[in-house]
Amino acid sequence: MYKLLLCGRYLRTRYLAFVCIVSVMLGVATLIVVNAVMSGFSTKLKDRLHGVLSDVVVDTDNLAGFADPPDVLMAKIKAGPAGPKIAAVTPTVEVFAIMQFRAGHPGGPLITKPVRLIGIDPAGRAAVGGFSEYLVRQKDAPAPSFDLTADALARYEANKRGREREDATLAVPEAPPAQAIRLPDAPPPPDAAAMTAGMPVAKLYGAFPGYALAHLRYTNEAGKLVEETALYPGDAVTVTTVGGETLRPVSGTFLVADYLKTEMSEYDQSFVYVPLEQLQAIRGMSGRCSALQIKLKDYEADKASVTAELQKLFPYRDVRVNTWEDQQGPLLQAIDVERGILNILLFLIVGVAGFSILAIFTMIVSEKYRDIGVMKALGASSGGVMSIFLGYGLLLGAVGCGLGTALGLWITEHINDIEAALTKLTGRAVFPRDVYYFKDIPTNIDPAVVGLVNAGAVAVAVVFSLLPAWRAARLHPVRALRFE
Amino acid sequence: MLRAENLRKAYRRHAVTVPVLNGLNLDVRAGEFLSVVGASGSGKSTLLHLLGTLDAPDGGAVYLDGRRIDNLPPRGRDALRNKTFGYVFQFYHLLPELNTLDNVLMPAYIAHSAVGWWRSRAGWRSRAGELLERVGLGHRLAHRPRELSGGELQRAAVARALLTNPRVLLADEPTGNLDADTGAEIVRLLREINRQDGVTIVMVTHNLEIVAATDRVVRMAGGLVAEDHPKPAPHFQLMAV
Repeated sequence: MYKLLLCGRYLRTRYLAFVCIVSVMLGVATLIVVNAVMSGFSTKLKDRLHGVLSDVVVDTDNLAGFADPPDVLMAKIKAGPAGPKIAAVTPTVEVFAIMQFRAGHPGGPLITKPVRLIGIDPAGRAAVGGFSEYLVRQKDAPAPSFDLTADALARYEANKRGREREDATLAVPEAPPAQAIRLPDAPPPPDAAAMTAGMPVAKLYGAFPGYALAHLRYTNEAGKLVEETALYPGDAVTVTTVGGETLRPVSGTFLVADYLKTEMSEYDQSFVYVPLEQLQAIRGMSGRCSALQIKLKDYEADKASVTAELQKLFPYRDVRVNTWEDQQGPLLQAIDVERGILNILLFLIVGVAGFSILAIFTMIVSEKYRDIGVMKALGASSGGVMSIFLGYGLLLGAVGCGLGTALGLWITEHINDIEAALTKLTGRAVFPRDVYYFKDIPTNIDPAVVGLVNAGAVAVAVVFSLLPAWRAARLHPVRALRFE
Repeated sequence: MLRAENLRKAYRRHAVTVPVLNGLNLDVRAGEFLSVVGASGSGKSTLLHLLGTLDAPDGGAVYLDGRRIDNLPPRGRDALRNKTFGYVFQFYHLLPELNTLDNVLMPAYIAHSAVGWWRSRAGWRSRAGELLERVGLGHRLAHRPRELSGGELQRAAVARALLTNPRVLLADEPTGNLDADTGAEIVRLLREINRQDGVTIVMVTHNLEIVAATDRVVRMAGGLVAEDHPKPAPHFQLMAV
């Protein structure tokens, strides 16, 4: 009983102990905040990666794509052993390209960007991943489409008229023919209307460029981050890529129908989704695809077996079967490694708290020499005296952890408000949005990590109080009673 | 009742050995109020520590009711100090973090686990309250040691020593830090405890005036009992103190 009593009294009366509590509290709070932010980044990144990449991807290095048409490939997959585990499959064509467009209006500067051109069936693509949740206009649409809205069409028409006016202004007036020589047996001039009658009207194809491709961000003279729309819905973009059969340049024009905003700069700056059939037509690979995006019914349970089955189904050198995690493996591993290193480094703060406990406890034991002697004279055992100081360390660690956890959770909860206040105070962005493309600092509190941090900090507090506690226990009562 | 047989004890500091007790023999009878006097360094406090199992002798033995107690395992010696012996020190040694009541209750806190204390706390509190009333501190239960006078501190220490109904009270110069009147008051209190409760008291002192109140006086010199005087007269004088 005396151990509990004295632990509690020492905690209340030894103000020096608050130094230990504050040290443990700061260490625990820092670890919780950093882990929550790192985990938030990691989770959000994984969500985004997984959203844009389907569960499993079967793709080929062949420029012309798979030899078989997509319907045959999909039927083959669904009929295979992995079939029952698959929820949806959609074909895509993926190729690198150069995209050109006039920024802002038809007379604007010509912008050229390297992009990753992806031909998709939008409804099918939405079925295999969280694709539509990243579309700006058609957000969360179950079956998004490349169709243009009336406003987009109106802008397209206006742009067309503007270009025509510009061409007319720039055109050199032709001199009237000096004297037309008309041969008596020459055929009559062609009738354009009669020639085009019955021919199909040119179809307009939509595109979903990445948000960062369509919006230019820069810092103005005042040092403020400015975002300007370079591509409005209805604006035309021209993409140039290589043909499917031979390495020859091919190009096509698309009209912006929507934007893709994943908040992942890598994707938002390079992805351009276009209709699958149009990209096939441009590249001369009609009826063929270069990749199959697959969604599983239960990803975690079936990823290994489905990947193995698909590898058996496509045993070709130029065909790869990967999960989305395999594709982004190095990035995900880098995040985990970074998190681990950061945890080790930050745990040193708790180590420092441990040393402050060691120093302060050594002082307290020296100060309590006579009291220890009295307690032993009254019948306290050496083990009991040791327990007082170990219990004291445990109590300091527990109180420090409790306060640190509360502080850490509060900071995590209000991290964006704190960031805004710090940015206002220092005049410098603590979390630049143009770097991360996240609206807010993402956080994710994992109760297991909070528990682990607390357990670690309490263990450090107890371990560092071991030496002073052992010294107190070894103290000879007679020497202690004579101590002045 | 309490017997020291051929007790030897030396303190070593660096390479120097200082002998303190050199084969001392002493028999303390049950219910006796024994005072031990002697010059500084004669080994009085060491004898008290050895009798109360606070220290272990280099040679010889200590017996309680015929049972050897100096070689008991640590747990047995801790239990003896908690229940059989009560200690009163010259500098009171109350714990500064606790109030008077909690200081007096400390032997009971030590004796019990948290659960055991919870079950028996009412009885212990009542006993501590009675003892504090008896030593005249019934109105000072909630006061911290720093708020008490020297005499009050020593009376609280006596109450603490009596809490577990010990058979032997070992007092190491209990009046050494008090003025004459307060010292006399403490000795009167010890005498009353000895007579009313039958507690055997071994008191080490330098003050010859107070030994008259005791049943027997032992003078120590050279680590041995030099004189042993039963029933000292009121104006008793030792030969060589």
